[in-house]
Amino acid sequence: MSGKLIGRRHALKYFGLLSSSAAGIEFLENWLPQRPALASSMPGMQGPTNADESVPTPSPADTESPYVLRFFKPDEFRTVEILTEMIIPTDDQPGAKEAKVANYIDFVVYSAAEFEPSLQKQWIDGLHLINKLSAEKYGSAFSDLPGAQREDLLTEMSAPEHDPNAEHPGYAFYKLLKSMTLEAFFTSKVGLIDFLEYKGLTFLTSFPGCTHPEHQT
Amino acid sequence: MASQPVYDVIVVGSGAAGGIACHVLATQGLKVLCLEAGRRIESAKDFHTHTFPYGWTYRGNGKPGQYGKLPQGMEWKIKEWTDHLYTIPDEDPYALAPGAKFTWTRMRVLGGRTNCWGRGCDRFGPLDFKAKSLQDGWGEDWPITYDDVAPYYDKVEQFIGVAGSPEGVYNTPGGKYLLPPFNPRCGEWLIKKGAEKLGIKVRPKPLAVLSKPYHGRPACHYCGGCNWGCEVAARYGSVDSVFPHLEGLPNFTLRTNAAVHTVLMDRNTGKARGVTYIDARNKQEYEAYGKAVVLAASMVESIRILFNSRNREYPNGLANSSGTLGRYLMEHVAFNDIQGFFPQLAGRPTTNDDGPGESCLYIPRYNYGHKDTKKYLRGWRFDFYTGCGMGPGPGAELPGFGSAYKKKIKELYPAAFSIGGYGEGLAFDWNYVEIDPDGLRDRLGIPQVRFHTFAEYPHAFAIRDEMYAQMEEIMRAAGAEIFPYKKVAPYPLGSVTHEAGGARMGDDPKTSVLDKWNRCHDVKNIIVADAACFVTHPEKQITHTIMALAWRACDHLAEEFRRGNV
Repeated sequence: MSGKLIGRRHALKYFGLLSSSAAGIEFLENWLPQRPALASSMPGMQGPTNADESVPTPSPADTESPYVLRFFKPDEFRTVEILTEMIIPTDDQPGAKEAKVANYIDFVVYSAAEFEPSLQKQWIDGLHLINKLSAEKYGSAFSDLPGAQREDLLTEMSAPEHDPNAEHPGYAFYKLLKSMTLEAFFTSKVGLIDFLEYKGLTFLTSFPGCTHPEHQT
Repeated sequence: MASQPVYDVIVVGSGAAGGIACHVLATQGLKVLCLEAGRRIESAKDFHTHTFPYGWTYRGNGKPGQYGKLPQGMEWKIKEWTDHLYTIPDEDPYALAPGAKFTWTRMRVLGGRTNCWGRGCDRFGPLDFKAKSLQDGWGEDWPITYDDVAPYYDKVEQFIGVAGSPEGVYNTPGGKYLLPPFNPRCGEWLIKKGAEKLGIKVRPKPLAVLSKPYHGRPACHYCGGCNWGCEVAARYGSVDSVFPHLEGLPNFTLRTNAAVHTVLMDRNTGKARGVTYIDARNKQEYEAYGKAVVLAASMVESIRILFNSRNREYPNGLANSSGTLGRYLMEHVAFNDIQGFFPQLAGRPTTNDDGPGESCLYIPRYNYGHKDTKKYLRGWRFDFYTGCGMGPGPGAELPGFGSAYKKKIKELYPAAFSIGGYGEGLAFDWNYVEIDPDGLRDRLGIPQVRFHTFAEYPHAFAIRDEMYAQMEEIMRAAGAEIFPYKKVAPYPLGSVTHEAGGARMGDDPKTSVLDKWNRCHDVKNIIVADAACFVTHPEKQITHTIMALAWRACDHLAEEFRRGNV
């Protein structure tokens, strides 16, 4: 039934997915149009599209196992892992570690070579700076510090976030680290689905909206 | 050349205005050629509505810097979901006068910007068409009234399928053919209660999204991915709702990859006799012939075509004897949203809040008769977004890091809100577009435009301040916590993708380009059917009005054909 109604790609995309469950079958019955509607199902509308073919392909950082580092040296990468796991630690819920945030950042920073090489420099300089600050204060590289001292240093670097009058030479790198960690975590399956429990981008036959009388009156 | 067909009408563009023009003209039996500058697309193949961020190589964001520095209002549009649909400004630049800003969103594919549009379908009201005479004496009136357009709003709503409420509020009319509205989310109810405490009305947002199956199209399945194009055509777009029904008709021809360069004139009659276009694949120029030309290429493109068609008779641009072509450009007064959360919703289990992609309620304009007309004119609308989205929500904006920070993000995630608005933008002759005097050309070699547009004028700042204050008041009345925010300058023209004006309608050929039927005063068989015809820019979204006016203009054109007047 499917191929004629909404085209082969749809058949693959939707029907395989949906017809595998009772809920999916119910959904299809309720939702399907009575007659074909889409351009891709009309005679003469299939084409030549001289596309720009665009096919979703996940990142090597999400698919390669084990992930092969592309940008950071192993000791730098270790520091990136520690830092991202400090921003979003693993507690009773998964964190940057489970989401492999450091892998993804390695891949993105590597990929910046073409259009935004300054991003590579910001990371190299930032990691250099954090080791320098760490050496000045505690006499060793950041990755060699005990957890409490790492925490203290990162807290110092973040001070301007709480106090607009505060300044810290490591603040710019802290902001970069934080924003890229958040982006990597919340665009990952672990961050978006497992941690936030985002339930959308799916197929519903109806949308109930708010079901709480106390919100409505 | 003699063997080339002469069409009744050449329609330039296939988006909001072009799609409607093709539908109206071809279904009335006229022989129509539609020229679309972009390629043909198929929704099943070119839209990736159901792809999660982690389905993309760069989680949807593209390689760092891949899209260049996008102008204000385009950052969220060009993503891996859509980068094959939009024109990337760095790859095909346009010119800006010193200090000027403009955000030009181009989607050069079949269906134009109806592929990824906001779907909001407010009607303009009676006061919007006669703002000068019925509101405050400023600017110009349209040469038409709400009653002239109302039947065409009806036709558009019937044709495209709009969910909403049949009841309007003052100067924001409802419609009798609307499909049932969508069910609001928790946060939307809270805002409604808060606003109503202040005497401000909240109403279902009219959306071109199907709340039930309609005209062979399926109902919305509430995935929320509409901004990336709807794979199943549950929201209106001309790719799936217009062209499949026209192709195959003997009197309709669609030609894609055909970028119209100029309108061809007939020296003897002073009328248009067709267009020249460049085939985007081989960059060769061709001619096509028609008894009338409907420009529906988008505000900027239609104006550009008229300027590029300048000739001995019209040295300053075709149909520009008034000198107003390209002038009186408008856009909403827009700026950053205010964000925060509802304490009463914090920490609850997450819910699927995607719904029909857009918010289900909104606040239409309510400040009629306000007394501050020395500071600002007219009014504003507010739109708000609440609940669990595809991002971490407001908690991520907080300072800090670590486990406590992470828990706070999770706690506030289901309680998120943001609220923003559009204020009425005013028409000034000093906001204009022209052909770049330095000779910039686009990727096909067609002379490109230069914008002289400035959004930071006194009215815009004043109405902005009023809007910030009102948004805060409403959100406090709703019991929300508002995050600290920075007031920013009004965004550039074009940043809402609601640019309009530049070939405005009017009764006086000395001060307007188009007559009340969207025909050029100077050349009556050229119609400009897109937002270039706008005279005012109220707080409402503009696409519905574009479609209604295109329908009206083309209905009239078809009638003129029947009477033998073309």
